[in-house]
Amino acid sequence: MAGDPKNYLHLARPLAPAPIATQSSAVTAPVTVTLHPQALFSILDHASRRPADQDRVIGTLLGTRSEDGTEVSISNCYAVPHTETAEQVEVDMDYQKRMLELHLRAAPKEVLVGWYATSGDLNTFSALIQNFYGQQGEGTWPHPAVHLTVGTKAGQDIEANTYISAPIGVTAERAADSCLFIPVPHEIKYDDASKSGLELIAGARDREDRSQFLQTDVEMLERAVEQVLEMLERVSNYVSDVLDEEREPSTALGQFLLNTLSLAPKVNPEDIEKDFNNHIQDVLLVSYLSNTIRTQIDLSNRLVTAALTMGPGDGAAATAGEGGEGKGQREGGGGGRGGRGGRGGRSGQAGRDQGRREEQ
Amino acid sequence: MATDPKIADSPIREIQVEALVVMRIIKHSTTSFPTPATGCLVGMDIGSQLQITNSFPFPASNPENQQTNSNPADPYHQSDQAALSLAAPRAKSSATYAGEMIKYLREVNVDAQGVGWYMSCSMGNFVSQAFVENQAFYQRGSEEKTVALVFDVSRSSQGSLNLKAYRLSPNFMAALKDNKFSTESIQKSKLRYQDIFIELPITIHNSHLLTSFLHQMPAAPPQKSALDFPASLAELHHDPNIATNPLAPNLESLDLSIDPFLEKTTDLMLESIEQHTTEQNNASYYQRSLAREQTKIKQWQEKRKAENVLRGQQKQPLLPEDEWQKLFKLPVEPSRLELMLVGRQVEQYARQVDGFNAVVSGKMFGVRGNLLPGEIA
Repeated sequence: MAGDPKNYLHLARPLAPAPIATQSSAVTAPVTVTLHPQALFSILDHASRRPADQDRVIGTLLGTRSEDGTEVSISNCYAVPHTETAEQVEVDMDYQKRMLELHLRAAPKEVLVGWYATSGDLNTFSALIQNFYGQQGEGTWPHPAVHLTVGTKAGQDIEANTYISAPIGVTAERAADSCLFIPVPHEIKYDDASKSGLELIAGARDREDRSQFLQTDVEMLERAVEQVLEMLERVSNYVSDVLDEEREPSTALGQFLLNTLSLAPKVNPEDIEKDFNNHIQDVLLVSYLSNTIRTQIDLSNRLVTAALTMGPGDGAAATAGEGGEGKGQREGGGGGRGGRGGRGGRSGQAGRDQGRREEQ
Repeated sequence: MATDPKIADSPIREIQVEALVVMRIIKHSTTSFPTPATGCLVGMDIGSQLQITNSFPFPASNPENQQTNSNPADPYHQSDQAALSLAAPRAKSSATYAGEMIKYLREVNVDAQGVGWYMSCSMGNFVSQAFVENQAFYQRGSEEKTVALVFDVSRSSQGSLNLKAYRLSPNFMAALKDNKFSTESIQKSKLRYQDIFIELPITIHNSHLLTSFLHQMPAAPPQKSALDFPASLAELHHDPNIATNPLAPNLESLDLSIDPFLEKTTDLMLESIEQHTTEQNNASYYQRSLAREQTKIKQWQEKRKAENVLRGQQKQPLLPEDEWQKLFKLPVEPSRLELMLVGRQVEQYARQVDGFNAVVSGKMFGVRGNLLPGEIA
């Protein structure tokens, strides 16, 4: 999977201008491909859902291109049903068009950049499909269509390769199903946001049922601390072995360790105490405040419903006899401030004061 | 928590999410941050477990398109981008979009049952009218076993994935059906803001192919059992065998950053408090105007009675005393739903702060113990 990007040789065949079907100057300049893990996971999922009689499945790749077309980033993909026999291959083109439209509605920036297949071999059918994707009109013309193959045979390594194509062929009739696939370097980029998700997903890989509960922050912290402790343990064992002359010293490692340990700051104990106390107080204060607010709102919500058991309900038909007493009770019951009018007014005032103080 | 509605009340007890869905939600939410991102979930329900196997985002069109294309009489016409994407899960256009997507996905053997929707939020501010309406729309629909997944973008970037699953409790759904949240109905149903949501536990599940991929992802294990020592410091940094590997332990959770979190939380709390006071003011305004109307009605009634007495003495026909119902209009009581939602939101913030507190105190004591060795905290 890790193609060493330094060792790529880019071969581009010179294009004969006229007799070949694509009259244009399709670009065969070098292209680097960045693959987003989401697309890769989606391809793997599709491969595991393929119909039983098919060996490989194909789909479309969506993504973005840089301005000059040399960098392509693949960020999404979807599957396209196709059937393949020994003699011919059929791809559902309407499906591909319609899905492309639907996807473009949700994410207008992600355009068609190529296609993928879940087996590593390249054959005539691949060439046919590649030409279809690279054509004018609905394809990626004038940019080359990127072809991504992901080997998904059980038991073997999952290998991804990316190619662009150049036309090749002896005669004009054979040009449509012949293609020279030029490998291009690719890289799987994991951005920061995916890291936390990846960590959890990777945590499930060693378990029997391949599943993992979502963990709370405290549990993640515990795991991280344990990992650091383990690493420190290994390093300190190595250093003590070197001091006892049981293992070979290495100047580079020693230098690296020295650089790292010198990063520990040299500080004044009083400053540390002060900062520490300040921060602890901040955190505790916010925690206390938020719990107080929660309690207060809970209380006010309960008063709304509880207070009304004392007076007649709202909007009750006015009975002439009740007069002033009824009025007092309704005013007290309203606003959720409390049972009797006077007490209700005061506790309401206290609530408003609290709110105002916090806003200041 | 002891006060939360029991999970046993709901037909679904737990959620299983495929790794693919997690990655897709993360990517969609982070690319459209700070606007909330919404999308549809598909999967299957097996007994009391709901499995989510794929997802796709809802299109939330730009305000410019919206003005030219959609009909302003459409009840879901929104002009603000954030409100647009929040309204998307229950909009008619999204329903047709989702139906079409699901139809096409079925052809490639993806599960074709819609099982809910997801949205992204920041620092836990997802409790709102729109959220409740979306989930009610799904729970009222043809399939009742649906769930809302909420992904918190800001908290996940600080180390651990923050994904929660919610359903509306049956009590709340019953109250929402009448859409009457006046004080009497709340009193009768004893609905509290803690009762609105049921939170469900989530597990992440990987397929076999994915598991083999994960095992293979760090570069192939080195051929020798013990690596040679690097010859120089520069080589140490560039050696591919020990270069950073995406599955290396994510030590960002050990970062100590206190103030930004506290500031944001207090800002959000203030907003909630302001909403709360607005609602309270509305309620008390209503009470006052109701009381005024009542006094006016009473006065009119007394006048009528006096007149009737006079007329009785003069042997004239009596005027009806019920006319006050036609002459005076009682003000409408404002709904208490917002108050309850604000309460729930505040509770969410308070829980977050408590969780943060636990983690941060541990880290701070650790740092302090390191920098001041020998002192026992």
